[in-house]
Amino acid sequence: MKKITAFLLVLLGGFSVLGCTQNTTGKIEIEFWHMAPVGSEAFSPTRAIINAFNESQTTYYVKGTGFSFWDYWDKINIAISSRTAPDIGLSTLDDVPARASAGVLYNISDLLEADPTGLDLNQLYPNQLAFATYNQDLFALPFTATTRVLYYNLDMFAAAGLTEEDVPTTWDELHAVSKQLDLVDGGVIQQLGFDPTYGNATYHGWLWEAGLDFFDENLNPTLNTQKHIDILNWVKNFNSEFTRNQLVAFGDANAMFGINPFAAQRVAMMVETDGLYQIIKNAGATFDFGVTTIPIPDEDGIRVNWGSGFSIEMYDNGKGEAAQKAGAWEFLKYLMSFQVQKDFSIANGWLMAHKAAMTSAAGDDPIMLRLIEEIEYAKDKVYVPYAPSWHGNDWQPYYNSFLAGDLTAEQALLNARNNYLQKKQNYEATH
Amino acid sequence: MAKTISVKLMKRRENIAGYLFASPWLFGLIVLGIFPILMSLYISFTNYDMIAQMRWVGLENYRILLTNDDLFWKSLGNTVYHVVIAVPLGIVVGVGLAFLLNNKVRGMGIYRTLFYLPNVVSVVAMTLLWMWLFQPNFGLVNQLLKPLYELFGADPIGWYLDADTSKITLIIMGLWTAGGSMVIYLAQMQDIPTTLYESAEIDGAGWWQKTIHITLPLMTPSIYFNFIMGLIGSFQVFTMAYIMTNGGPSRSTYYYAYYLFDKMMADNAMGMASAMAWILLVIVLIITILALRLNKYVFYLGDES
Repeated sequence: MKKITAFLLVLLGGFSVLGCTQNTTGKIEIEFWHMAPVGSEAFSPTRAIINAFNESQTTYYVKGTGFSFWDYWDKINIAISSRTAPDIGLSTLDDVPARASAGVLYNISDLLEADPTGLDLNQLYPNQLAFATYNQDLFALPFTATTRVLYYNLDMFAAAGLTEEDVPTTWDELHAVSKQLDLVDGGVIQQLGFDPTYGNATYHGWLWEAGLDFFDENLNPTLNTQKHIDILNWVKNFNSEFTRNQLVAFGDANAMFGINPFAAQRVAMMVETDGLYQIIKNAGATFDFGVTTIPIPDEDGIRVNWGSGFSIEMYDNGKGEAAQKAGAWEFLKYLMSFQVQKDFSIANGWLMAHKAAMTSAAGDDPIMLRLIEEIEYAKDKVYVPYAPSWHGNDWQPYYNSFLAGDLTAEQALLNARNNYLQKKQNYEATH
Repeated sequence: MAKTISVKLMKRRENIAGYLFASPWLFGLIVLGIFPILMSLYISFTNYDMIAQMRWVGLENYRILLTNDDLFWKSLGNTVYHVVIAVPLGIVVGVGLAFLLNNKVRGMGIYRTLFYLPNVVSVVAMTLLWMWLFQPNFGLVNQLLKPLYELFGADPIGWYLDADTSKITLIIMGLWTAGGSMVIYLAQMQDIPTTLYESAEIDGAGWWQKTIHITLPLMTPSIYFNFIMGLIGSFQVFTMAYIMTNGGPSRSTYYYAYYLFDKMMADNAMGMASAMAWILLVIVLIITILALRLNKYVFYLGDES
């Protein structure tokens, strides 16, 4: 009995030693969660960035923990909700206000006011800063950026007798050029000029270009106007000479192989994120292509694209950890510095939030420079507490039913609106 | 001088040692089992959104789900459809396979292994494989059926991409794993005493009569077991729809468990999701209790009554 008790005590002691967060250097330990796990390509560069900070420090020691992108969100959300979040970590920019209102984030504006050195907000995009703001105060900083552009295949343009001068800027031009690029053989699509449902083109993205949205400023759903109906019909009728079945089959043929239809050189023009450029580059593709602003409805249209990004946040677990807070702030300033932002961009292939760092990282790469230019016009989707996935789970079934011909545009929009209204009513009943 | 201890003390020490040895399992049961179950019950009465502090809302989550949530009933309807067709069909196919494989044919072990094999394949891999097979435009199934389509002048079946056929497509896919229940049926079938068949043969019974009057009645315990387990499992159908159809098209494969998952992961409505879990528990409990009444039709070998 005594032996068993002693064994258990030794075991417990062993676990305690292993679980101790005190680092061997005697510095104050700061926990940082990122998305470069061991084994990933970005792990070594990320670790080098953290090590460089640690070597420059006499007070703080940053312990980095990397999770894969797909695991990260569950981990960070559960950690935040259980008040065991790291001192500093990445999250999504569009829902910063939700976390800020819950009191789990430190106020960055307060920290900046007390210590304005080492952080230049002018180097960050105002549209991104707006999403990190809650009640006029910053509760996070934009860490990365994403943007959507129109990719066009110049080899396909040349084969159709078109040049870069013909790259469309309006919806009418887009349709006219697209039709010149369609190739059909025996009723089977061989090459598609463009389709407004392919890639990362979204209905709300098209609405934004026409000055419309899903919700008004009070987050009431506004899908019941004739303009909404017209744009939805425009999306469907763009390739009306093909059946939906043909278009789905053509898209699916690539999707099931996990290949982007534009990268596979089957679609001549496509709306995609900046990430596609990295995919094409990494695949060593040799075809000639370019990127440009997504065409707008007409000369009165709005130059806008759906862009988001990761936020960098300092978590308040309600334990009054002043030393950790100060250390996390130092590390946050370091992460947002010119050189570190540039290093992160090179390591991960991400577009970073720091303007000068990104321009420097892009060098003379014309596509990268064009992508950076579009960030200025990127807009994130609004966070709707009663329907956080309003553009995804809530909208897609109606959108797909409409595209499949099961619902008219009017029915799809009416049903979607009724669904939002019901969700709003139910949310308000419990909050 | 010999050390003496009382029986009471010995018992106490034995009890402590017993608890210590059982403690890893007890820890698992309490911390990973009972606590989450009770916690989910508590959360179902709150508006917990996984970030902010939870607030008690009483029965509001239950009221909303039952009276003001169209998707709740839609997803429940889809699930009931799946249960009503998939469970009996699974039993028929499983029993049918067991009959086929209960023969003394050369290489029978290989056949049994082949039919059981899909059960050791991951659901994700299986689903992706069936997506290829059922792809309406270039999948193997429609390529094989092409002559029939041409003969009758019919359009190719849309399978999982058509709201009218998506649910049945997923049910057909699920039958691929019928080999799992087949093993249980086969075991019970081989457990039936041969004397019963011999005496039936003396009485002039043929294959059909032996099947109806001996084999099937004596297989009712395993059929009953698979029926109950099938009911419980089918109410939780999720993975195939999540991977293959995303709940579509037109929410035709949006099952209860999928909606529960979305409530939690997409809407951050953990309170509502927990309430859904408890409603599902009650539904499954009621249906299982009703199903238990069928026990009187189950024939247990050696049961004199």
